[in-house]
Amino acid sequence: MTLERNRDFGDYVPAPDDDLVICRCEEVTKGEIRQAVRDGMFNVHEVRRLLRCGMGLCQGRTCAKLVKAIIARELNLPAPSLLDATARAPMRPVEMKVFANEKGL
Amino acid sequence: MKRYDLIVVGAGPAGLSAASEAASLGLGVAVFDENAKPGGQLFKQIHKFFGSKEHKAKMRGTAIGAELLDEAQRLGVEVFLNSPVVGLYDNREVLVRQGDAVQHYKGDGVIVATGANENILAFEGWTLPGVMGAGAAQTMMNINRVMPGKNILMLGSGNVGLVVGFQLLQAGSKLAAVVDAAPYIGGYGVHAAKIARTGVPFFLSHTIVKAEGIDRVTGAVIAQVDEKWNVIPGTEKSFEVDTICVAVGLSSSVELLKMAGCEMKKDGLGVIPIIDDDGETSVWGVFAAGDVSGIEEASAAMIEGRLSGLAAAGKLGFVGPEALKNRKEELLSALEGLRDGMFAPKNRGKSQDSTSEGLPVSKCLLANGFLDDSETFSYPGVKSVPGLHPVIECTQNIPCNPCQDACPKGCIKVEGKIIALPVFDEKSKCSGCGLCVASCSGQAIFLVNEDLGDGKAAVTIPYELLPLPAKGAVGTALGRSGAPLCPAVVTEVKLIGAFDHTALMTFTVPSKFAMTARFWKNEVPA
Repeated sequence: MTLERNRDFGDYVPAPDDDLVICRCEEVTKGEIRQAVRDGMFNVHEVRRLLRCGMGLCQGRTCAKLVKAIIARELNLPAPSLLDATARAPMRPVEMKVFANEKGL
Repeated sequence: MKRYDLIVVGAGPAGLSAASEAASLGLGVAVFDENAKPGGQLFKQIHKFFGSKEHKAKMRGTAIGAELLDEAQRLGVEVFLNSPVVGLYDNREVLVRQGDAVQHYKGDGVIVATGANENILAFEGWTLPGVMGAGAAQTMMNINRVMPGKNILMLGSGNVGLVVGFQLLQAGSKLAAVVDAAPYIGGYGVHAAKIARTGVPFFLSHTIVKAEGIDRVTGAVIAQVDEKWNVIPGTEKSFEVDTICVAVGLSSSVELLKMAGCEMKKDGLGVIPIIDDDGETSVWGVFAAGDVSGIEEASAAMIEGRLSGLAAAGKLGFVGPEALKNRKEELLSALEGLRDGMFAPKNRGKSQDSTSEGLPVSKCLLANGFLDDSETFSYPGVKSVPGLHPVIECTQNIPCNPCQDACPKGCIKVEGKIIALPVFDEKSKCSGCGLCVASCSGQAIFLVNEDLGDGKAAVTIPYELLPLPAKGAVGTALGRSGAPLCPAVVTEVKLIGAFDHTALMTFTVPSKFAMTARFWKNEVPA
């Protein structure tokens, strides 16, 4: 099963648990993620860029799988088929002044 | 740029083992860990480990951690703490946050042993204080000595949920229930049994509906699910709890490997690196060892670490082909021993119908956490004979055999592979030393004298709760399900060094309860 960008997934339909917080660090709700999918964000990477879920203190270690499952259910696709977010340095939160203070080059 | 022969990321069981193996072969090794203390999760594993001697079986995780640290120190491994690795770049360049700077290092080889992080569930109220990962609860109580809560609901019946559940009981918390959406208990039956016999109920095919509370957890509602995991209305059950522990699996912490460009493969909802039997990834000189390469027990992680450390030494010319080959075979065979049986990675998710001996696996154990009293005699460790004898309630193929080595009289045999069920040889004479009882990491061995001559029986159980009762204390004997059976008087409490903190408590009950009484509670029946 592949993801077709031009497929019509229908409109966003509100659900009773839409106010459930999924990404605690950035306070992103399930409803916002579902809405984003309907707006054309079809994987964790894209949803993260739009909503910042997974860009907070824990860097998605808590919510990435939850987000993935929500997107998959919304698209009616198996979750493992969806693209993950890209892994980039810094892997742990680092203040900019520290990150800019490079040693040992 | 500071260069090391080998850089290891993570000072847990895999990382420390890798570092020591490599250092013993002459490599200059640096280990970076983000935590203030080394050992990864080992120092919170206060329970005895499974396996055989070569896997450090029957040692507690804390002792294994201390031993690994000693070894690394002795071999000159440099361990840097409070040093999170924040990047892994081309040609094994490692970026580490240290103090107010990010430091660049270069490793001729790099072993990533970053472990795993806990999965979570999102349900109504999951962001309330009091909902936490089971691993977090374990860190609180065993590392920081803080009680996570007084009344706990455990979500997840895998080994993490079961082990942490029992440790919560040891810490003095009450466990309201163990809940799992699957129809069968995921972890070792022996781990479930030691919780069940204290009276904790298991709710399989159940999920959490919500956590209740305004500013903290004050309760939880669970409900039964159908085959498609949908909640069946009307099956809700409420619990008054202040803490909900979530133990629904672990995810490999693969970010550094992804960043380094290692080829990955799907693993559930996440990914794990594609590795060879040395743990080397698709990127030259970059290895993955331990949970980061797929979730297993710490015992396996330690061997994986050694394999990677050895392979790195070979690759960099520190060890000749012959020595490399011999050591690798030794390590692979140890790993193979652990990766066998019903809970091996290759058998994950498969239904457990019968043991390798052809005996049916107890459905009652899988669904409720305890053996049905009528089933026990179908296993080779349980026999009814005159006089004192061990009763080994070990009914699943788990890689473990310390009981065999513990018995000085040859009463217990684990024949062939270490996953075989222990056999009680009724022709041997049990001396009642109790070493088998204390050696069983699953607390599944009991000593029973079914007839003391006065219509009473003596039952000796492994007991790891405090306070230890005094001799003469009158309490209640509980059955395997935790149901109260009868009043029981404690006749002996024995704790010697060789038992390693597992006390052996003996109580007397009427003979008819000899083969059913398996726990003792400090409560007199009403």
